[in-house]
Amino acid sequence: MEATLEQHLDETMKHPSIVGVLVTDQQGHNLGCRGSLSDEHGGVVSVLAKQAAGLSKDPTDSPTVCLESDTGNVLVRTHGSITVAVHKMAC
Amino acid sequence: MTTAALTQGLERIPDQLGYLVISEEGVLASAGELENDEHTAGVIMQMVRTACRFRLQGAAEPPFKRISVMLEDFVYTVTVSGQKVFVVKRQNNQHAPVTV
Repeated sequence: MEATLEQHLDETMKHPSIVGVLVTDQQGHNLGCRGSLSDEHGGVVSVLAKQAAGLSKDPTDSPTVCLESDTGNVLVRTHGSITVAVHKMAC
Repeated sequence: MTTAALTQGLERIPDQLGYLVISEEGVLASAGELENDEHTAGVIMQMVRTACRFRLQGAAEPPFKRISVMLEDFVYTVTVSGQKVFVVKRQNNQHAPVTV
């Protein structure tokens, strides 16, 4: 399973505008990361996803959180039991 | 600053369903679907505090200019300005990607 995840991370990083990717579990433990996103971001990423879920009345609705800045965006979304963050540079 | 001065820009945002202006003391102004929505205000304030702890190497301070939370039918757009947090709820007009 780890090998598949690592492969997905490498594939994601091949996209020219993506400079970082991170996968965490529900506790914020880092399951894998590449580029600009590292161990230290796991906690914030999983907490942000959990807090955002409190904005929806529908428990099956999984919100996407986007931290936007002039240089790029960090997109965070939960898929089942894992949370994925992608750091994308502005084109 | 009067409430009108705080909200006159928010009123004109296209597709807005409601808005909140929040400070550390609580909700300063609210309207539409977010009128008196203390729950959403609390969650958004928590998210702003969390997002402020997000540090990318070499990134500016604060680490974000805007936070967007995209849900199935609507989007919350959050900006911080002058110790106040501005939240606008808008219709989500995004379309499903076309599979070619």
